[in-house]
Amino acid sequence: MIMLAILLTGIGSYAMRAFFIFALARYAFPPLLLRALEYVAPTVMAALVISMLTTPEGELAAGLPELLGLVCAAFAAKTTGNHILALIAGMGTFWLIGAII
Amino acid sequence: MNTAPTRPALRGSLDALPLFIPALPFAFVFGVVVAEAGISEWLGWSSSPIIFGGAIQVTLFTLIGEGASVAAAVSAALIVGARHMLYSVTLAPRFQNQPGWFRWVGAYVLIDQVFVLSQIKRIDEPVAFRRYFLSAGFTFWTLWMVSTAMGVVLGPAIPPEWGVEFAAPVLFVSLMMAASDRRDKLAAAAMAMGVTYMLASLPNRAGILIAVIVSVVIMLLASRRTSP
Repeated sequence: MIMLAILLTGIGSYAMRAFFIFALARYAFPPLLLRALEYVAPTVMAALVISMLTTPEGELAAGLPELLGLVCAAFAAKTTGNHILALIAGMGTFWLIGAII
Repeated sequence: MNTAPTRPALRGSLDALPLFIPALPFAFVFGVVVAEAGISEWLGWSSSPIIFGGAIQVTLFTLIGEGASVAAAVSAALIVGARHMLYSVTLAPRFQNQPGWFRWVGAYVLIDQVFVLSQIKRIDEPVAFRRYFLSAGFTFWTLWMVSTAMGVVLGPAIPPEWGVEFAAPVLFVSLMMAASDRRDKLAAAAMAMGVTYMLASLPNRAGILIAVIVSVVIMLLASRRTSP
């Protein structure tokens, strides 16, 4: 049963990734749609961040250390463009503020 | 941007490495979920090559561990992964001038991090794009296979009080900033954060997909009003 569940989920998740790549392989994308697709990457990342910081009941599961950590990471990412530095800034702030308060 | 790196395969691997850092503690979380669901290590691990999607795998085994039916667990896991359809649409124009085999193989490694890397780098040259994409994808794939194997064997190896799971939202904020190279994209991201928060109580993280679609539509309507 568990193997069946893994296989079905594997087929389903592959199908979701492959479907439009194949379905739209010869489709002439109108400019409006191409413009819309430019927003997908920033908005999905933003939505993932919030979904990681909320409980399934919809409560925010983040305090001051988390919020300040994210602000510092965003600032580091914007100024340096380096994800490792952003990770160091974000986690450093999170641990530091967490240790103080 | 918009220029092909001289060694796209090497670049792809190097770009994928830092993005894997938050996936490492997640692999140990995965190991704990497999153990708590009462599933044997290697059956649990087989989901890594078969599904290749951390959040989807964890959702599936969490629900199986809670005694859900196969149909319920599979459908919940697929709703969690529904955003991959957006990646498929978004990358479809870039896959049009690619050979058929790359469509099959590339779709297999189309995960959050590989998608966002391809959007940040925006390599126009087809061969360089393909090499970059596959190299980033399979670097991530290899690391995920190894670390989830460690996860199911070692279990809770990282003390929870360290809070290393927080590295995941930190990385995604960093990726969000890199993907927001224009002010309107940053505005769209901020809007998506607000809508996701409002929809956070929807089951199986369905709010993610809705928030993205709502913010994209609002941005298009807003830009239509301001531009002639």
